[in-house]
Amino acid sequence: MSGLKRMLLGAAVAGLLVGAGPARADFWSDAAKGLEGTTIHGVSESTPPSNYVKDVLAPAFTKATGIKVEFEATSWDQMYDKAIKDMEANTGIYDFVYIEQDIVYSYLSRDFLVDITKSLAEKPNLKAPDFDPAMFTTFVNYFKGDKGDIFGVPMEAFIKVYLYRKDLFEDPAAKEAFKAKYGYDLAVAKTHQQYKDIADFFTAWGKEKGIELWGSTVQAHTGHPASWYEFFESIAPTFGVYNWGIDASKNYAATVEHGGSMNSPESKKALEYWLSLLPDAPPESTASTWDEVAATFAAGRTAQGLVYGENAAWIATNDTKSKVVGKVGVALPPLEPGVLEAAESGKGYIGYYDGGAFGIPHSSKNKDAALLFLEYIAQPSVQADWAVAGSRITHQATYDDPKVVAQDAKTDGYYTLMKNDGRLFAGAPPYPFHAQVREATAPFFYQAITGELSASDALDQMAAAAEKELTKLGYRK
Amino acid sequence: MRPQSVGWLFMAPTLVILFVFGVLPFVYVLVISFFDWNSFAADPTMRFSGVQNYRDLVFDTGYLMSLWNTLKFGVFAVASEIVLGYFLAQLFMRNFPLKSFFRTIHTLPLMIAPVAVGATWRLMTVPGLGPIPYYLDKWFGYDYLISRYAGQAFFTTVVMDVWHWTPLVTLTLLAALSSMPKEPFEQAQIDGANKLQTFWYVTLPLLKPAILAAVFIRLMDAMRTVDEVWMLTGGGPAAATRYVGLYIWRVVFPKTDYGYGSAMSLITLYLTIVMCWLLYAGLVARRDLRKPE
Amino acid sequence: MKRDRKGLSLLFWLFSSLITLFPIYWMFVVSAKSRVELFGAPTFLIKSFFSENYWATLTNTSFQGYMFNSIVIATSNALLVTTLSLFATYALSRYKLSGKENIFFWTITNRMAPPAAFLLPLFLLYTQVFVVGDWKMFDTRIGLILLYCVFNLPFAIWTMRGVVDAIPQELDEAAFVDGASTWQVILHVILPLARPGLAVTGILTWVFAWNEYLFAATLTSVHARTITTGLAEFVTVTGTNWGQMAATAMLTLIPAIIFLSLVQKHIVAGLTFGAVKG
Repeated sequence: MSGLKRMLLGAAVAGLLVGAGPARADFWSDAAKGLEGTTIHGVSESTPPSNYVKDVLAPAFTKATGIKVEFEATSWDQMYDKAIKDMEANTGIYDFVYIEQDIVYSYLSRDFLVDITKSLAEKPNLKAPDFDPAMFTTFVNYFKGDKGDIFGVPMEAFIKVYLYRKDLFEDPAAKEAFKAKYGYDLAVAKTHQQYKDIADFFTAWGKEKGIELWGSTVQAHTGHPASWYEFFESIAPTFGVYNWGIDASKNYAATVEHGGSMNSPESKKALEYWLSLLPDAPPESTASTWDEVAATFAAGRTAQGLVYGENAAWIATNDTKSKVVGKVGVALPPLEPGVLEAAESGKGYIGYYDGGAFGIPHSSKNKDAALLFLEYIAQPSVQADWAVAGSRITHQATYDDPKVVAQDAKTDGYYTLMKNDGRLFAGAPPYPFHAQVREATAPFFYQAITGELSASDALDQMAAAAEKELTKLGYRK
Repeated sequence: MRPQSVGWLFMAPTLVILFVFGVLPFVYVLVISFFDWNSFAADPTMRFSGVQNYRDLVFDTGYLMSLWNTLKFGVFAVASEIVLGYFLAQLFMRNFPLKSFFRTIHTLPLMIAPVAVGATWRLMTVPGLGPIPYYLDKWFGYDYLISRYAGQAFFTTVVMDVWHWTPLVTLTLLAALSSMPKEPFEQAQIDGANKLQTFWYVTLPLLKPAILAAVFIRLMDAMRTVDEVWMLTGGGPAAATRYVGLYIWRVVFPKTDYGYGSAMSLITLYLTIVMCWLLYAGLVARRDLRKPE
Repeated sequence: MKRDRKGLSLLFWLFSSLITLFPIYWMFVVSAKSRVELFGAPTFLIKSFFSENYWATLTNTSFQGYMFNSIVIATSNALLVTTLSLFATYALSRYKLSGKENIFFWTITNRMAPPAAFLLPLFLLYTQVFVVGDWKMFDTRIGLILLYCVFNLPFAIWTMRGVVDAIPQELDEAAFVDGASTWQVILHVILPLARPGLAVTGILTWVFAWNEYLFAATLTSVHARTITTGLAEFVTVTGTNWGQMAATAMLTLIPAIIFLSLVQKHIVAGLTFGAVKG
């Protein structure tokens, strides 16, 4: 254990020395002059990418600069709550905070974060030679202000992809039976109808064979916002309903009546389709959040499903966690006609680009030291090992690293897909009222899953509730 | 008699701590409850809004439903705990082999953090994967899906609470039973009272303070349960187990609606106090209340 | 006949223990399985023991710290609370304090507050008001020890009230006549007689402090984090680590059982209490 850690640490430090070049090998110690002994304090969710920062990058940074890093890794709810309390009250407990992509607009609207571009321009002695925001993937754009300055250094990014079981899809018996039943060849679904057919088919197949196999995962927890997110991030866009169906240009309208599309016919069709997958999903689906969906797929209980990309790597490669190692195929989600064209022309998107960055709160009392730390974790030389440990990529150079290329092959080209088609995916809409509208509408959404409300009624009520909440918050005039 | 000042001196540390860590935050919450304040509203500053938050509460059907569900949850859970706890405490008063071993076992559930209790019960009841739904389906063909059926979810939260907190009642009642004087029982025996009569006329009156304390503590703790249910169902399916503690948590944490959440907390607190006061005044302290000296 | 009853009682206790232990046993089963084994048909027996769940926690220095903090906080809080509650209930029971019944009832209202909304003011107090120079009450053990009094003191006062009230006044009067001071009366008359009650109060306040989550999660960061907040760290977007979470929860049982066995014997001491009265 500790041997491995030391190796990773050694690799990170060695990589840094090579990357920074011999002339500026001591940039970190020069820049940190006068800051030695300072302690910076950060908060993040305890995910593999964060834990890599905590266990490997932070100690290496301390060694290079003499600046100590205290890293609080906690649960998602807690991280979010404490960062907000700290910044709202201007307490200055945290010197860097994790900013999930969907909350960044809330933080920017409140001017919670330090403008990193500006700070580095003002203090050139803190600017690391190899720190270049232009070298990040397009994901960094989510963390830019109006003038293009960056407010966060991307630390993780994933896309939510369509995973399927290659072994089942290539099984001759299954192929034959499928063709006989549906009249076309069993292949990776391109449309929703195909996806539904395949789901029906494998559910029946599992029942017939007496094995624990179902047609699709559904992230349909009836008391956790994960289900709400699956619909608005990953299902509605594939039917051409974007930005939760709220139109910012029309006075934040959500209802069709006022110009929104949350309860539009497309949206209702999308929800009906998603709910129709429930009978094809294993019983745990209505208790599944983001990670249980991945675990269900990894246990070999479903033939296909939409799964967050951060899980793709371990599902495909780690046999202490996954029963389907070597059997995983990766593809783009099934779409309605016209959606792909819209996404390619930049008018829409086909799925969710998820991730987060580290930023510095204005309330921080050690901004210089925190800036150095963020530059440190943004170095091209530390990215590849980090990518392998946490299956995240935020830097363009990372794709070509041999370690990443090797993992790419094992995951059926997840990284290649991300590199080539990442632009078709999008993060959460730029709303500063993210959690507020989610909480106001989610109760009706849960009722749609339990069947207390029809898809149509649920969306009507959600659209009305969203508008009511937006009026209360003062966005909708 | 003895000087009051000495008595107050003994009370002082308690009062000081409760004032600093209990009353000060309460005053803050009270003030906030008259403001419209959400960190991520178009106008994120605090604006005085009078009693608007309280007015909104009356029409918030989600909140009222959650109050009602919480009350049901509290009554079912606490009633079962008291009956079971009393029964077990009585049995522990007898002598039998391995007594302290069994007592330790019956105290263990208390020692597990609510977060872990919720997680364990969740793993036992996850549809399709937990042993309970799996074998109910396999052996009896019974559909036990707590993420789908409101009634089953409610029932499961009650059973979980009973499992977790009955030991508390057992312990409190055991302590009370242990320190009970023997004479009344001997007298009852001499008078030829049967078991039921002894229970009704001797045990129950003597145990009343302890039972009441247990009911109080359990009832108010049930009213503010968050962690366990949050782990088990997240408040679902739909709003079936979204008890008031969880409801308020959602309003003040993810929604950052501080003003409204504060008003909601205070009304909930007020209702709990009234409920307990009625119980208290009605059952125990009638004598003390009538003549405050 | 008598033997049958003994057998029957043993049977009852075994059965009741089985029900009580099942969830804990299931926690153990989960802790002994690797992640992939959890997502399949459930089995009651463990085929192989996946010890990595335990080692991951045991060798993690953060978790060692969390465990230490939890033990210190829960034990200090239980000691503080039982002591203060003994004083307070003695005062309530033996002195004619004006409005004492109202004060008695008021104490319990401190426990009734739904915690969520009170976190913001507490956070502000801990980070901006209770500050001396560089020292903040935020993320300190003493901060939690004092805060837990808010819900534990009322509980302790309510359970101890009955116990202290039940101790006959004649006993302390007699001691006073013998020239004892108030202090001596509490120490030598009240304390021994209140022992079972104090033991139960001690156990339960310890349990409440040991298990508390929301306050600890909000008011600590790195240095004073407790084991319950550590448990919540296993719930993440990329996968809840059920196995290690269960293993950690199993490990937290050890200090709890040790504490319980140390204190529990005092509950029994009370059995002789009835005799004292005469």
